Amino acid sequence: MKNYGSVQLKEDVLDRGLCIGCGACISLCPYLRTHRGRTAMLFPCTQESGRCYAFCPKAGVDLDAVSGFIHGRPYGESGVGPHLSVHASRAGDRAPGSVFQSGGTVSALVAFMLERGIIDAAILTGRTGLLPEPRIVTDPGEVASCATSKYAAAPTLSALQEARDAGFRKIGLVGTPCQILASAQIRMHAESEGLPDPIAMTIGLFCTWALDFRKLESILKERTDIAAIDKIDIPPPPAEVMEIYGKGGTLTVPLGEIRTAIPAACAYCTDMTAEFADVSVGMLEGTPGMNTLIVRTSRGDALVRDAAAGGFLKTEPCPAGAIQELEGAAEQKRKRATAKASEDGLMNPAGGERRPHIRLAAETQARILS
Amino acid sequence: MNYLKCRKPGEEFLLMGNDAIARGALEAGVSVAAGYPGTPSSEIVENLAKIAGDMEMYVEWSVNEKVAMEVAAAASFAGLRSLCTMKQNGVNVASDFLLHLGISGVRGGMVVIPCDDPGALSSINEGESRHFARLLELPLIEPGDFQEALEMTRWAFDLSEELRSVVMLRSVTRLSHASGNVRIGPLPDLKRRARFVYDGSLIDPLTGPVITMPVAIRHKGQQEKIKRAEAIFENSPFNTYEGPEQPELLIITSSACTLYSREAVHELGLRDRVGILKLGTTWPLPKRLLKKHLSTTGRILFVEEVLPFLEENIKAAAADMMGEIGLREFHGKVDGTLPGSGELNPDLVIEAIAKLTGTVYHAVPEEYARKGQILSFTTAPGRDLTFCPGCPHRASFWDIHNVLELDGRQGFVCGDIGCYTMAILPCGFSTLKTSHSMGSGSGLASGFGQLGRFGMDQPVLSVSGDSTFFHAVIPAMVNAAHHKSDIILVLLDNAGTAMTGFQSHPGLAVNAQGDPVPAVDIEAICRALGAHVETSDPFDVEGTEKKFLELIEGGGGARVMILRQTCALSPERKGKKRYEVRVDEEKCLGDSCGCDRICTRIFRCPALVWDKEKRKARIDEVLCAGCGVCASVCRNNAIVKEEVAR
Repeated sequence: MKNYGSVQLKEDVLDRGLCIGCGACISLCPYLRTHRGRTAMLFPCTQESGRCYAFCPKAGVDLDAVSGFIHGRPYGESGVGPHLSVHASRAGDRAPGSVFQSGGTVSALVAFMLERGIIDAAILTGRTGLLPEPRIVTDPGEVASCATSKYAAAPTLSALQEARDAGFRKIGLVGTPCQILASAQIRMHAESEGLPDPIAMTIGLFCTWALDFRKLESILKERTDIAAIDKIDIPPPPAEVMEIYGKGGTLTVPLGEIRTAIPAACAYCTDMTAEFADVSVGMLEGTPGMNTLIVRTSRGDALVRDAAAGGFLKTEPCPAGAIQELEGAAEQKRKRATAKASEDGLMNPAGGERRPHIRLAAETQARILS
Repeated sequence: MNYLKCRKPGEEFLLMGNDAIARGALEAGVSVAAGYPGTPSSEIVENLAKIAGDMEMYVEWSVNEKVAMEVAAAASFAGLRSLCTMKQNGVNVASDFLLHLGISGVRGGMVVIPCDDPGALSSINEGESRHFARLLELPLIEPGDFQEALEMTRWAFDLSEELRSVVMLRSVTRLSHASGNVRIGPLPDLKRRARFVYDGSLIDPLTGPVITMPVAIRHKGQQEKIKRAEAIFENSPFNTYEGPEQPELLIITSSACTLYSREAVHELGLRDRVGILKLGTTWPLPKRLLKKHLSTTGRILFVEEVLPFLEENIKAAAADMMGEIGLREFHGKVDGTLPGSGELNPDLVIEAIAKLTGTVYHAVPEEYARKGQILSFTTAPGRDLTFCPGCPHRASFWDIHNVLELDGRQGFVCGDIGCYTMAILPCGFSTLKTSHSMGSGSGLASGFGQLGRFGMDQPVLSVSGDSTFFHAVIPAMVNAAHHKSDIILVLLDNAGTAMTGFQSHPGLAVNAQGDPVPAVDIEAICRALGAHVETSDPFDVEGTEKKFLELIEGGGGARVMILRQTCALSPERKGKKRYEVRVDEEKCLGDSCGCDRICTRIFRCPALVWDKEKRKARIDEVLCAGCGVCASVCRNNAIVKEEVAR
């Protein structure tokens, strides 16, 4: 499989407006930088092939290969992706408390991993006002400061390379599906180079779409003090609003308006539940204060068991109806994105010089679209 | 003995044209000289400034050309002799005052000296100042060699007093900056007293108020002066003819083109066939003299720079003479015999004469020319047009470029006049997107900054040097501030008029004569406009970037970022390194690094070189000025800087 350089990265991703700003290409070279949610290429780089292109979750991603590498399974077998178990969960009594998006499962798992030395650093996403910022956290007590959903796309992975440079070798990552996909490609690349896998655990977050930070900011800044935002939430349907909680009370913005800030890339995203993570976490629809927890790998399974045993996590069986609903929603997202990528000529373009956004074997495509 | 102070008439010196002009002015007893620096004019005022104390003169670098002309005119109104210098486009700046000065007239002899730059060797325009003489009805003279540069300058003051009109003496680069032998004349012993007399009649130009009214009467008086000038010019010794009585071809020329024409005729061996009429007085034209020479030949070639000034005006005069002299065939720029733009040279003139006379001429054998061309391409090292090592502008534009890319809204910079104009090129990371006259960058920015209402969301920046700021940026910034134009002025304050050779300007605590003066505070002026002002050292790449981003994102009307760092060539910084800089060869991964040689491929300081053998970056210690900026360019920290103990 041919890799490319940043000239092609610019053409395929930045110039097509498909960059999600995950930060995977940042901190690798002097040319690519991130600023307020946008990736900038300062000068053209003439390298024919680079990690920037190899890591990018929006450039020539071979989903069959990634699935094979992470799970040893073909891609697109089920809506929520390969998994061992699904639970309803929330933070246990021993986990540090905070304002959580729903059940606090992610913060609890990260704090547990740091406490037990399963990881030596966690790559998380904090926030200053509305602006999401990557954080390298080593103190379990600091984890909760990164809690709650940011909604805006964040360059979290830029901290991964920084953590590697700083000497961390057992890194835990919490990220959205695109960030987890990039981390999977980073791990594949490490293996192909004969380097150790820098990532000890990945926790994926459910995501239907993210928001362009700058657009979101321009929608909100006239209406509220964005420096004083505590939490953002989108209550379940039929509300159709985004709620912004801050010092001055709650601001409600129609979802239709918010949706104008969704980056183009999200329309081609096939992944709702971060399929390539060790465990994936999202809301449990209909049960406030609880998460849905999908366990995908054996090390993820061990983590969940140990965290529960250690009092950091409370798990219970996930209602069958909720799993079914999640399966359906995830399958729909994958189908929509696959169809759109095909229609727009971004899936395995036939011949010519055009490079693909996503690569999928014909039979995988057929399976998804059936 | 300094040629400026020498009191031995007849002594000969090798002088640049500008030196000769300065000496000529001294011999005429000039008391006040003012100008604005600009190549190729700057040495005239510089030379006079050096000896102002000894000669009891007052010499200044004024804030701009218009003010320089007003300062010089004031001395003339008070009965002193004065001169004023500028480069070609400076006349445009001063022309409003000059229009009125032409009508009001002068008292003490006053000479305006524009130095044109044919071929724009040190300019971003090819302005032609001679047209102002015709446009504003002023006498114009043009020295044809170095001796004449001295003699005609000396005479220009007498002429000015005889006519009571300002006189324009025009030079060009190849006269101002080339050198030749010049025999000096005596220096006068003067005790000068200045007094402005204004209590005479309102219409008496010598004792009343110096005004342009009543316009119709004064304008008529001005035109009579031009008629008198023409009569004087008919017999001027500065109009000369060399050649046969009945030349086959008559060259009419002036200024440095006289030298090209003489050389061309000599090279072609056509002295007995081609005549050269060299005019020293070029407006008004001496028509009787012209008639005499136009009668001797059927074909005329005009050799002049930049525009066809003599060509068009003499053709118009010839039309009036047609009944007496008959039809004539004219060649020059209009029919394409000589190029219409760019600098002339002896080769071009040779080519034109050869063509018109059917002479065959090869400057060098063809084979030799071919070989020379190949060698110059293959053996001469490629050299960028670039900023000096340690130049603050490279760091400033690095900061600006990166900030605009990070911002990502396709922001741009409106350029201005100085070394930093080169930022249109890769040495400034191609950051400048407009380049016009002094102060125009900020004026344009002031306009761009209003276009947000039409959907333009690109950040608008302008740049200005410290001297340019005083010259013409202040009005543009007042406009921007007053109209809440959404712009950032980036003031590249390198503590001097660096490009033209560190002439003083109002921001400095010293004047042209080297005397202490109060420095005008740029920052305070900007704050007084109500602008948000930030100051940073462009060598602090990280700090500057942070301040810049905040300023860009902050929005809100006219803002100012002062990037303050002394020019690397300034006497204060030259030869003094702030850092010893070296490349850590262990850390520099060279070709195998993913950096794609950002240091030597993009940043490209001339002191940062690519070692072709080691395949790594290297510091050229001789060239390195020790600014340390390159250390922040390498992400691998392979460029190490260590502070030099002072």
